[in-house]
Amino acid sequence: MSAVESEGVVLGGLGEAELPVAAAARGPRTSMRSVGMRMLGGLFVVCLLVFMIGPIVWLGLRAFSGLWQFPQLLPKQWTVAGWRTVFKDPNLSHSMKLSFEFAPVVTLASAAICLPAAYAFSRFRFPGRRVLLISLFATNAFPKIGLYIAMAGVFYSLNLMGTFLGVVIVQLIGTVVFMTWIPTAAFSAIPRSLEEAARDVGAGPLRVFFRVTFPLAAPAILVAMILSFLAAFDEAQGTFLVGVPNYITMPTEMYTLVLNYPEQVAAVFAMLLAVPSVVLMSLARKHVMGGKLAEGFQIR
Amino acid sequence: MVLPPVGVIAVFIGFPVGAAIAYTLGKTGGPNSVMSLLAQHEHVAKHGVTTAPYREMLSNPSVREDLWSTVWVTIVTVVVVVLVSWGIALYLRLNDTWLARTVSGLSVVPLFIPVVIASYSIAIFWGPDGFLRSVAYHLGYHGFPSLGFTLTCVVLAEIWVNIPFGVLMMSSGLNSVPNALIEAGRDSGASMPRVVRSILLPMNVIPTVIVATFTGIYVLGSFTVPYLTGPTQPNLLGPTMSNFFTAFSQPQQAEVLAMIVFVLALALGTAYVWANIRASKRAGATS
Amino acid sequence: MKRKLFAMLGIAMVVVAAAFAAALTGSSDAATHHAAKSVTINLYASGDVNVQSLWQDHLIPGFEKANPGIKVNLIFSEHGTNDTATLARIGAAVKQRKWPGIDLVDGGLVTTLATDGLNQPVTKASAPNIKLLDQTLLTSVKGAAIPYRGSSVVLAYDSTNVANPPKTLSALLAWIKAHPGKFTYNTPASGGSGYSFAETVVDSLLPQSVITQMDQGYPQQLESQWKQGFDLLHSLNSSVYQGVYPTGNQAVLDLLAKGQIWMAPVWSDQSLTALKNGQLPKTIKLTQISNPSFTGGAAYLGVPKTAKNKADVYKFVNYVLSPAAQTQIINIMSGFPALPLKYLPKAIQNQFADVSANTLRPTYSQKTQSDFKAAWQQQVP
Repeated sequence: MSAVESEGVVLGGLGEAELPVAAAARGPRTSMRSVGMRMLGGLFVVCLLVFMIGPIVWLGLRAFSGLWQFPQLLPKQWTVAGWRTVFKDPNLSHSMKLSFEFAPVVTLASAAICLPAAYAFSRFRFPGRRVLLISLFATNAFPKIGLYIAMAGVFYSLNLMGTFLGVVIVQLIGTVVFMTWIPTAAFSAIPRSLEEAARDVGAGPLRVFFRVTFPLAAPAILVAMILSFLAAFDEAQGTFLVGVPNYITMPTEMYTLVLNYPEQVAAVFAMLLAVPSVVLMSLARKHVMGGKLAEGFQIR
Repeated sequence: MVLPPVGVIAVFIGFPVGAAIAYTLGKTGGPNSVMSLLAQHEHVAKHGVTTAPYREMLSNPSVREDLWSTVWVTIVTVVVVVLVSWGIALYLRLNDTWLARTVSGLSVVPLFIPVVIASYSIAIFWGPDGFLRSVAYHLGYHGFPSLGFTLTCVVLAEIWVNIPFGVLMMSSGLNSVPNALIEAGRDSGASMPRVVRSILLPMNVIPTVIVATFTGIYVLGSFTVPYLTGPTQPNLLGPTMSNFFTAFSQPQQAEVLAMIVFVLALALGTAYVWANIRASKRAGATS
Repeated sequence: MKRKLFAMLGIAMVVVAAAFAAALTGSSDAATHHAAKSVTINLYASGDVNVQSLWQDHLIPGFEKANPGIKVNLIFSEHGTNDTATLARIGAAVKQRKWPGIDLVDGGLVTTLATDGLNQPVTKASAPNIKLLDQTLLTSVKGAAIPYRGSSVVLAYDSTNVANPPKTLSALLAWIKAHPGKFTYNTPASGGSGYSFAETVVDSLLPQSVITQMDQGYPQQLESQWKQGFDLLHSLNSSVYQGVYPTGNQAVLDLLAKGQIWMAPVWSDQSLTALKNGQLPKTIKLTQISNPSFTGGAAYLGVPKTAKNKADVYKFVNYVLSPAAQTQIINIMSGFPALPLKYLPKAIQNQFADVSANTLRPTYSQKTQSDFKAAWQQQVP
């Protein structure tokens, strides 16, 4: 991308910089065609709605259902018995608490070790740069289930099994790709001229980073952090491998809860477990939808 | 400065991957001795390496079925996700109405639902007592197929799970095309489809490739979705791998399957890297 | 916008710092607690939810009350999902002579641990109640796993739709073919009830000598004789509900509860508990078939070689084998005791008086089971 374009992207799209030219007038379309198009569009939207939201709503209904047999569209009996069963479970709140303890720590730790690397990847042209970037991505492609036994061996020899740090490392592994690739692209999109200008007026390198570079890259870094948070939050098998006996997080409980209980109770668990993610993402939706994502995954 | 993340990955992932590869070639000592202890029907390399594990798995008919299912489910998912993401992102780009924003908001919902719950709810929704079947029954159509626990359900669920990333990526890519360009195209008399074809499409090859490869890699290695929504046989390689590890106590064979998935994923990854390098070469290496 | 961003990041960092501090102080609190006289045993249990309830609500509180100063921490995991990780953990730990984080194991993986030499054999001296057990239960696991309860697979049927349930295996097979879509069983890899049905069908076509060898050892060369049984199972594919075999015991119970199927093999203890809780409607009844009957199974406890506080762990094992705990297992979980009936209260003996002798037909040894599950997957669906 040219310097102008990249600057435009950083500032939020050249669309904001367009000249106030009135849109050329268009003649009235054939009304039949536009009505037809609209109906088709409407149908598509309805189908999309059913496809995307339907399963969740269906599950939500089931959480309150007593007796519900095919082909009724709604339960015959409504009850909160399922909820009572769930709240009697002592493990649920403990593991939820743990999940919320680990995910932020992992995200920040990941940021701490990956952001400097991202900066290096973006600013310094050292040999093997692309290879390293790609290998960070490639190693995640190996199915983890095939690695547990060897990983257990490594963790044991480093005395990390069953420790807080060990679980942090396991969850961190899944976030490295997000925290290196997206910030690398974000840093690359910031023109060096800005940094050089700051340095010319006497600012030290750290000051330059925190006052010039970081604020411009912040939206993209925030996106990376949110994706990392979710990745750490959802990490199940590896956490169980390392975390036993003291650190069992929510996703690990999830398999047990959803598959082991009768459907009504499982539906209640499912609703409860979706709540944290929903809350989180609704808070940060604007930034994630903002548009920094595509550049994040390009290799330059 | 680059060392920390690379180091972490190298020690905790790279080394186990190396050990796993050695194990599939028959090396059962050293880091693989624990796995070997638990293994039945193992092939041990007397000297050098052996390809017997690979030959055994690739000549196993149900494994071949699973491999083929994994491939076609991946292809179908990728195609549908790319098309739907393009559709939604384009709609949002060209009409900034509340409806468009609602649609794109909805399409990102799956990102916030943990995948275990998503799979579980989709299996129920499309299943024998699910929503569609009940609605069809009420409309008089008693023969509506139950799609729960079929490969079709796996495809539907994988699409559901991967649409958010596709939509985000495509709208991000489409947003970086300045309005001025689109206006210029319209002003010169081009119809909207022509604008899409000649301006938006070529400028967004990279995001499309990203969506395709990331979705593909995800589906290839997925376990939870096919485990909860898939049929008994054939299913994707993820649950099969898990069965070989746990139920059949055949870790070596399971590692072979893991390698197959890894190689397929790497192939996709290579396509992605190649596309990127070509694009950056064409953009004239200004960075 | 930037300020909001910084504010968010700032808040996040404060939250994290607080959480970190809490976590660290939390774990150090636990450490001081250990130093003050109390021992913690970590028990890993894998199974269905009735097993979780048995440990959490009954056996553990009972033991802790009788032994103040010993705490039992239960780590429960759904039938099989985390077994690979736990096996990996214990294997790697024993090899490096480190503590695996788990001191006692209950679940299907115990027999694997035992046959692979990762368990500490429990001697009669350390847990005297072992002397009272039927010693044949200990041979296939070389004494490195202790059976503590039993369960049998039975046939559950919907009494409103099935007036006369089949009493023999051949009658059952005929019923299945006559009522397509009204029967199913879970995949042998995912649950014991489906496994038992599959093994029973295959056993019906094998000579008893072969079956005994497979129960006590690992005769790979005889496995080709399973083919006939698998062909028979394969012929049932079109008669099974939806042509799909569900994953896990609970899934089959769900289908019965929703009325989608009329008959299925189920674990006796799981279904009795479900009937008691109202999760299965009262119209579901249980019966046993004969010729051959469904297999049962003992559930085993195992102690990893590098477990901590072994003396206290043996005390716990001994407690679980005591008549009081065994009575609890029967009453609460509707399970079979591992302790022979003559050591249990009279009331219990009467309860089991008319249970026929072959309800706990033994099942294959661990390695043979693995091969059976693999063969089923290749040859049946």
